[in-house]
Amino acid sequence: MRPVTTVNVDRPRRGLGEWIYLGPIVKGLAVTLRHFLRNFFGQRDVATIQYPEEVRQYSERMRGRHILTTKEDGSLRCVACYMCETACPADCITIVAEEDPEATVEWEKLPVSFEIDLLRCVFCGFCVDACPKQALVMSRKHDFVFTTREEAIVGIDELKQKGPIEEQDLGYRPYY
Amino acid sequence: MTVSSPDTATPNPLARFIPGSQDLKVITASDGFTEITVDRSRLIGVLRALRDRPELDCNLLLDVCGVDYPMNEQRFEVVYHLTSLAKGHRVRVRVPIDEDDPRVPTAYGIWKAADWFERETWDLMGIRFDGHPNLRRILTHEAFQGHALRKDYDPEKRWVLTEAETFVPDWVTEADDEEDFETQIINIGPSHPATHGTLRIVARLDGEVITRAECEIGYLHRCFEKMSETHGWAEVIPYTDRLNYCSSMINGVGYALAVEHMLGIEAPPRAQVVRVILSEFSRIMDHAVCLGATLVDVGALTNFWYFFQPREEIYTLLESCAGGRLTVSYARIGGLAHEVPADFEDQVRYLLGYIPKFVDDVDKLVSTNRIFRGRTEGIGAISAEDALAWGWTGPCLRACGVPYDLRRARPYLGYENYDFDVPVASTGDSYARYLVRLEEMRQSLRIIEQAIDNLPGGPVITDNHHAALPPKSKVYSEMEALIWHFKLIYEGIKVPAGSAYLATEGANGELGYYLVSDGGGKPYRIKVRPPCFAIFQAYPHLLDGHLVPDAIAILSSLNIIAGELDR
Amino acid sequence: MRQPDGSSALLTTRLEAMLAWARKNSLWPLPFGTACCAIEFMSTVSSHYDLARFGAEVVRFSPRQSDMMIVAGTITDKMAPVVKRIYDQMAEPKYVVSMGACACTGGFYRAYHVVQGVDEFIPVDVYVPGCPPTPEALIGGILKLQELIQSGETQYDRLKP
Repeated sequence: MRPVTTVNVDRPRRGLGEWIYLGPIVKGLAVTLRHFLRNFFGQRDVATIQYPEEVRQYSERMRGRHILTTKEDGSLRCVACYMCETACPADCITIVAEEDPEATVEWEKLPVSFEIDLLRCVFCGFCVDACPKQALVMSRKHDFVFTTREEAIVGIDELKQKGPIEEQDLGYRPYY
Repeated sequence: MTVSSPDTATPNPLARFIPGSQDLKVITASDGFTEITVDRSRLIGVLRALRDRPELDCNLLLDVCGVDYPMNEQRFEVVYHLTSLAKGHRVRVRVPIDEDDPRVPTAYGIWKAADWFERETWDLMGIRFDGHPNLRRILTHEAFQGHALRKDYDPEKRWVLTEAETFVPDWVTEADDEEDFETQIINIGPSHPATHGTLRIVARLDGEVITRAECEIGYLHRCFEKMSETHGWAEVIPYTDRLNYCSSMINGVGYALAVEHMLGIEAPPRAQVVRVILSEFSRIMDHAVCLGATLVDVGALTNFWYFFQPREEIYTLLESCAGGRLTVSYARIGGLAHEVPADFEDQVRYLLGYIPKFVDDVDKLVSTNRIFRGRTEGIGAISAEDALAWGWTGPCLRACGVPYDLRRARPYLGYENYDFDVPVASTGDSYARYLVRLEEMRQSLRIIEQAIDNLPGGPVITDNHHAALPPKSKVYSEMEALIWHFKLIYEGIKVPAGSAYLATEGANGELGYYLVSDGGGKPYRIKVRPPCFAIFQAYPHLLDGHLVPDAIAILSSLNIIAGELDR
Repeated sequence: MRQPDGSSALLTTRLEAMLAWARKNSLWPLPFGTACCAIEFMSTVSSHYDLARFGAEVVRFSPRQSDMMIVAGTITDKMAPVVKRIYDQMAEPKYVVSMGACACTGGFYRAYHVVQGVDEFIPVDVYVPGCPPTPEALIGGILKLQELIQSGETQYDRLKP
C-alpha cells in the first residue's frame, strides 16, 4: 500500500492587500473582461449552439429512438424471442407473437404487435444488447416530444425501418 | 471453493481483543472484513470494545442496515460495518433477531453516526432501536404503512400522502420562554432554489439567526434497494447511474467491482484503466457542479457558467464512449459495455489541456476574494473528532485534516500505480471544503494524464460467460455463444450465495455496496452506503447560531445529492 | 375564444393572437428540479444551449413569478403535496412541461414511493421523453409548448371556464 502524500490547501489571509479589495477587483474584472472581449470581437469562445437552426452532431453510439430493422424483402427481422422485453429494466416493451406463415428454420415467429412506451423508456440500450438477430437498433433521433401519453406508445408502424439501412441515422447498435 | 466463502480455518487476528470472543463467532470474511456474529444482549459491550480498545480502535461507523431472511429461524439480521482509520482493518458485526421481538439497543451513544442509519432500518425493515432519541420514519412519508424492504411487502403498493399529514416536528409548537421576542418557524425547502434537490429544513429563527433546526429527507426516495431485488444483477446498473447523478460512472463502477468480487472474476486491464479515466472525469464533473452551485448560492453566478463549459466537453467524451450524456450505463459486470471509440486518446488529451483554464479562472476570481472568504470562512466548521463520530468521509472529512482517501487506504482499479496527492485542509469550514474540492480537480487531471499514457491494449470485457454477454459476432454464428446469451438474459447472472461489502471513493466520500446473494439471478439485498447520508445528519448541529444565508452556504459546500441521499 | 357549441377553437382575434405571441415568447420557467433531469436543465440554461434565447431568461423558483413549470425529475409520494401546492400557487395562465421519463410516467421506478407520472394530479401540456432528455429535446418541448400556446390548445385553454 502506498503511503498517503498530502498537499495542504489552506490559504492564510494575506493582510492589507486582500482587505483593501482593489487587487481582487482588478484581477476579477480582467478575467471577465477577457472573456467578454474575446466573444464580442470575433466570437471566438462562444459556445452556444443555435438550436434548432444549428444541430449538434452526436456520436455514432447515441442512444435515441428505436428502429426495428428489416430484411431485404421488407419484412421485420424480429423473431419475437422476448429477449428485449426480458432485458428491459423499465418493462416498456410489449410483444405479442404469432407463427410466421412462411416459416423457415431461422424465422419461425413474427411479432403481431411490438410496442414500446417511449415515455417509460430510459434509453439504456439493454434491449439492443439483448437482441440476438440485430432486429432492434437505436437511432440518433432524440428530440421528439408528445402532448399526450397515448401518443408515446409506438408500434410496429412507427418503429419499422423506413428506407435502406444506410440512410437511417443510426446510433447505438452492436459493435462486435 | 468460490472466492465468496469466508476463511474459517485460520483464527482471526483481532479475535483476542474482543471481550467474550471465545464463545462468539469471529471469522475473516472473503472481502477482508473481520466478521463477528453476536447476540443482542452482548451487542453494546462488543461495540464499545470495538471503539475503545486501542488495538481495535474502530472510530468510523460506516453503515447500519437490516436484512430480511424469512426462511431462517431468526428472521432479521442487523449488520454493522465499521472501520479503523489508524489500523486500517474493517469489522462487520451481525446480530440475528427474532420476528416477534425485533428490537436491538441503539448504537447512538457510541457513534453519533448511527442516528439516521438506525432510523432508516426502522423505516424500511421494522427493527426498533431502544434508546434512539428520535426513532421516526426517515425515507418514506408519514402516511406510509408497513415496512417496505421486508420480503412480504409488494413493491408496487403505494400510499397516498395528503398535505394535512405532512410532518411537523414537536418542538415547533413549544413555546420558547427564554426569548423576549417571538421566534418564527420556517421551512427551507423542499422546493427551494438553493437546496440542491429536495431537502427540507425546519428552522426556528430568532430574527435571522437559526436557533434550532431539523432536517427532513426522503423526498426523492425512489426505492433503489427494492427495485434491485426485482431486477437481475445486470439490470441494476441503470439504477446505479441515478444514485449520484452528477458523477454516474463512479456508482456503476463501484457496483460492478462489488459484484465481480463476489463472482471471483476480474475485469481486463484495459477496462480497469478506462474505468479510472472516466471515473476521474466524473469526479471532476461532480466537483464542478458542486462548486458552481456553491458559488451561485453565495452570489457569484459567473463561475457557474464557467464550470459548465468543461462539463459539456466531458459530456461529449462520455457520450462518444457510452451513448448517453449524464446517465451513462457504461460499466458492465466484468468490464465495460463496449470498446472505447478510436479517437478516445485524442479526446482525453484535448480535455486535459482544456479543463485547467477554467479551474484557474475560477480560482483567480474567487479564492482570495474578500467577500467570498467572509461568506465561507468559519462557517459550518466541524472538528475532526466530531466529523468522524458522525461518519463523515470524503472531501468534507479531508477539509478537517484527516487524510482518509479510499484510493490510497484500500486501493482498487490500480490506483496504487498512480502518483497523486490527497488535498487536506485544517479548518473544516466551508472555505476549506471549497479549496479541497478545487485541488482535487487538479489531482484528478494528474491521474488521468498518467492513466492515458499507460493505456494497455486488449479486450474491455471478460470472456467469462457466466458474467458477461458473449460478443455479438459469435452470437450470430455459434450455437454455444447463443445459449450463453439466452441464459444470461433470461436467468440473469448467477452470483454464488454469500455477502460482501465493497467501497470505492465516490465524489462525496465512501460509496459502499453491501451485497447479499442467495445464489439466484436477482440480488437478494443490496444496501448502498451513501456518503451524503452520514454527512447530512450532522447538518442541523452545524447550524446553531448561524444566519439563514450561512445555512445555505454550508449546505451547498457539503454537496448533498438527493439521488444518493434518499436512494 | 370558444365556439358557440363550447368546443375550443383556434384563436381568431388579432388581440388574442398578439397576447399568445407575447406569452409564448416570454415563458418564465419554474424549474421544479428534483433529480438528474435538473442537471440537464442546468445544462440547457448554460451557455452551450442557452434557453434564454427563447425568452426564458428569468428562471424564477417562485411560483408567483413564473408561468411555466418544468417538472424535472422523479416525483415521489412524499413530494406530491408540495408539487400540487406550488402548482396551485402559480398565477394563470400557467403551463406544465413534464421532463424526463420519471415525471411523465414514473420511468423504470414501478415502486412503492414513486408517483407514476405527474399527470396523476396536475394537467400536463408537453411530455418530453428521455432519461434524461438531451437539452435539444427540452428545447424542442418548449418550442412545442410555444406552438400550443399560439394555437390555443394548451391545458389551460381547455380547462378555463
